[in-house]
Amino acid sequence: MKRREFLKTSALGTMAMSLPLSRWQLFAQETSLPHAAFVKNGDPESLVMNAIQALGGMERFIQKGDKVLLKPNIGWDRSPELAANTNPEVVATLTTLCFAAGASEVKVLDRTCNEPQRCYRNSGIADAAAAKDAEIVQVRKNRYVEMPLNGKVLKSWPIYKDYLEADKVINIPIAKHHGMAKVTLGLKNLMGVMGGRRGSLHVNFAEKMADITQHIMPTLTVIDAYRMLMANGPSGGNPDDVRLVRTLIASPCTVSADVLGLELFGHSLSDTEQIKVAVERGLALYDTQNLDVARIDLA
Amino acid sequence: MQNLRKLVQIGFFLLFIILFLKARYPYEFSMGSDFGLRLSPLIPVFTFIETLSFPPLVIPGLIILLLTPFLGRFFCSWVCPLGTCLDATDHLIKTPKNRNAQRWDKLRFLKFANLIALVILAIFSVNLWGYLDPLSIFNRMLTVILYPLATLFTEKSLLVLSEISILETPAYYLFDLFKDNVMPEAQAHYQQVLLIALFSGAILAGEKLSRRFWCRYVCPAGALLGFMSQSRFYERLVGEECPACNMCISECKMDAIPGDDVSKTNKVECIECFNCGAACPPKTKAITYRWRWKPYHTQLDMSRRQVLTSMVSGVAGVGLLSIGLPNRNHERQMIRPPGSLAEAEFQDKCIRCLECVRICESNGGCLQPDAIHSSLTQLWLPAAHMRTGYCEYNCNLCAEVCPTDAIQPITLEEKQNWVMGEAYFREDLCIPFARDEDCIVCEEHCPTPDKAIKFELKLVQLPNGESQELKMPYVVPALCIGCGICEFKCPIVGKAGIFVTKAIDETSEMTYYS
Repeated sequence: MKRREFLKTSALGTMAMSLPLSRWQLFAQETSLPHAAFVKNGDPESLVMNAIQALGGMERFIQKGDKVLLKPNIGWDRSPELAANTNPEVVATLTTLCFAAGASEVKVLDRTCNEPQRCYRNSGIADAAAAKDAEIVQVRKNRYVEMPLNGKVLKSWPIYKDYLEADKVINIPIAKHHGMAKVTLGLKNLMGVMGGRRGSLHVNFAEKMADITQHIMPTLTVIDAYRMLMANGPSGGNPDDVRLVRTLIASPCTVSADVLGLELFGHSLSDTEQIKVAVERGLALYDTQNLDVARIDLA
Repeated sequence: MQNLRKLVQIGFFLLFIILFLKARYPYEFSMGSDFGLRLSPLIPVFTFIETLSFPPLVIPGLIILLLTPFLGRFFCSWVCPLGTCLDATDHLIKTPKNRNAQRWDKLRFLKFANLIALVILAIFSVNLWGYLDPLSIFNRMLTVILYPLATLFTEKSLLVLSEISILETPAYYLFDLFKDNVMPEAQAHYQQVLLIALFSGAILAGEKLSRRFWCRYVCPAGALLGFMSQSRFYERLVGEECPACNMCISECKMDAIPGDDVSKTNKVECIECFNCGAACPPKTKAITYRWRWKPYHTQLDMSRRQVLTSMVSGVAGVGLLSIGLPNRNHERQMIRPPGSLAEAEFQDKCIRCLECVRICESNGGCLQPDAIHSSLTQLWLPAAHMRTGYCEYNCNLCAEVCPTDAIQPITLEEKQNWVMGEAYFREDLCIPFARDEDCIVCEEHCPTPDKAIKFELKLVQLPNGESQELKMPYVVPALCIGCGICEFKCPIVGKAGIFVTKAIDETSEMTYYS
């Protein structure tokens, strides 16, 4: 390891380890605002607007001059209708809100599973976000930083540099079926900033994910369930597996958002090892059994 | 005229480079990248031998051929990008003067012998001519050697620059700009680099022996064009005022002006570079060019014995290439791109230009120039190597760029249903089977709308006596198209726990050529 890299890594590492949870999360729970927003029956834009408003507006999360990173799911070379990637309008609306709250820059990136240029383009996300002046960032192999974790299973794992350098991060998963993890929501979506051979994380998945995600929890998690992929996930491809649910969940706590997201599939916490382990290991900001949820029906 | 020729020559060279660079995702360039390769004059001839017809794809080559009786071998110095490369090499390495390269002159027949042997081989359905097709050689060199080298050096130097703090932003800006427009997102690396480098290097190194060594003595396309321009209608005339200073002889790229008579031109060899006119001293300007409807005829530089010898060697080649022992173990390794003709036909049509390999690298990057498994004819055919890359489900670009339609131009929908291979698990390696742990990364990535890899829940007895529920993957053969993403993404280091083999064509017996 080069000296410069070593210094950088150890600086980041010390920072990460000095905090019980990630640096982006809200620690003071002084407000009486709800823990999460669950909005249904709207178009993507109004779902986002209402959810963010219910949580106290984007100004609560983004301060003037903040460098913001949006992490949608752009994993697959699929069109938006096939619900394998986050809805582009959701990403676009969040971009607008971030700039309105005073963000100095908004980056959008994901480490894709299929060829990156195809995914960025065919998901519609690159065009939609760029139209709102977001910076579309292609993930480069040399820009990962080895992050010390001292977890139960993993000692360290490479995380994307732009993610670590951002002032605020918004995690924007799409709610999907997943063969191995049963569902993929906010926690699983964070795999898109992880480097290395991600496939090897599948072995002892729940513990490994908890080891990593506890250090990189985002400021805000917005689960897009406008369209949901109910089978053959996470890659999908069959329009018959897609259900138009027109719902969106937002929460400052990724684990709480995921627990709420299970409702959409009719699963309980015990069905999904990964989210269950995250709750057990105390990664949630709130008591997930007694969440204060703002439920909004736009119909 | 020499300046015009140089201009057109550079123009065509740039066209070939642009067509090459544009052969990448999203491939929205209106002029197909296969157009350039179709300019090869060999394509119409060998396509005709193969199919006894002239399909539309031969039109560009046919135009070159039809112009040749009037204009001579203009292709070689105005169009051919390999010729331009050779001319450029002249400036790099010191090429001997024509009078010092006389000893090679008796080899002129070699190119005709090559052509005759290749034609005979083709009649017996052994198509080796693609190896010697100049455009194919150029494209192969570009795909496997020059482009990856250029990418390597550009990437590395920009990354080094990005380490300097004030240059970080502009270096990354340039890096992204190159990545988006010129360089591949992820450069593929190829097997056979050494062999292809030696092959193209030898052709360029021929310039050390004489000017345009390849074009004078070896190139079958040059032979074909020379054969057709024996009585071409465009001629070089030398006026009375010629002082016989012999400047034109020493400037001639092809040594096509006989030393004893400056007024004659060897029409078979002349490539219309117009160096002679430019070399003629300005005071005299004795050389002019003119159309002439009663041209004189130039003999081919080839004896009857040489014709016979090359025919015999062609026939012997057919035999030798057909009697080797096929290694049946390799039969299913040669996975061809989706849309490919059946193996025997594919080997006949493919000219090994590697354009499909080139465009593949902007996507999954699974196509590689093949090695020799059991026959020379397999060399440099495109073969899918799923451990290095995989076939993108939404991509049919290789089918769009094939200049000879060895890969049929199938639609995306046809491609998505095209079975190029079959996946099998290696249960001695696959993690759930071998290690009693959950994995199924292969299932996650399987792209068919109804996943071809599924899993069943199985209660497994662990060595410590406990039992655990595991997800055991399996392949549904009817759904699998053999895209290989499972093999590519398998997290095991080294040999994957799942692998793809060539799909079996039940209708044809797998034999030497199939």
